[in-house]
Amino acid sequence: MNFEEFQNSARLYVIGALEPEELQDFESARKQYGTAAEDFINQCYGLHEAFALSLKPAKASSAIKDKLMAMVRERQNQSGDAK
Amino acid sequence: MLAIQAGDADALSQLYDRYNGIVKALILRIIHDETSADDLLQEVFMEIWNQAKNFSAEKGKPLGWMVTLTRRRSIDALRKRQAYARAEERLQAEPEQQPLAWVQNVTEQDIHASDTRVLIAKVINSLPPAQQQVIDLAFFQGMSQREIASHTNIPLGTVKTRLELGLKKIYDGLKELKDEL
Repeated sequence: MNFEEFQNSARLYVIGALEPEELQDFESARKQYGTAAEDFINQCYGLHEAFALSLKPAKASSAIKDKLMAMVRERQNQSGDAK
Repeated sequence: MLAIQAGDADALSQLYDRYNGIVKALILRIIHDETSADDLLQEVFMEIWNQAKNFSAEKGKPLGWMVTLTRRRSIDALRKRQAYARAEERLQAEPEQQPLAWVQNVTEQDIHASDTRVLIAKVINSLPPAQQQVIDLAFFQGMSQREIASHTNIPLGTVKTRLELGLKKIYDGLKELKDEL
């Protein structure tokens, strides 16, 4: 697999679209290209961010945040008691 | 994120205020169910709190990490609840909006409110519809190449080519955008 082919596969890899039989070749090439491969894969994760940012933000109920923060504080208190 | 890793609940509160709209939009885009989306939103932020120690700034930005986590969790939820078929029906019932219009009902006000979103959406929407469709199914529905081929009756090789070409165009487009953003 040359580096251009690796790049094509990396973009599929980060969105989980590589088929099982393609994964082995991809992992071999990933080892072969070392740091350059890891850097490129990290850059490809920017695609995730872009897909999310392309969506129109949705409004959440304010009760959700209240429930979330209550759970977090309760967990903090529990771990504080445990100490 | 550093403050959240240190156990600062106020930092989580700020993160929620900043990103809940994006995270919920992504959840909704995957599961197509408003009530479940709110529950999942809460679960995702709880997971962010619990898993914050696994975030590494060297590997990317907080939003990227959150989106990866949200997507995985939403696709899991979709499959666990066996809502896949129902979501598929809804998708098919929305031919005017899906899967091409990733930014829906954009108004002038929205454009001023979010230049970044519009610029990114422009890159994505500049793709041929066939490429948008396969990327949409892979990213937002978590489908494999084989599942996409079966779902769309498109040959597997064509699915792969469309995915590769489409993702490369988006990747290159985003690189160009970085200077503008």
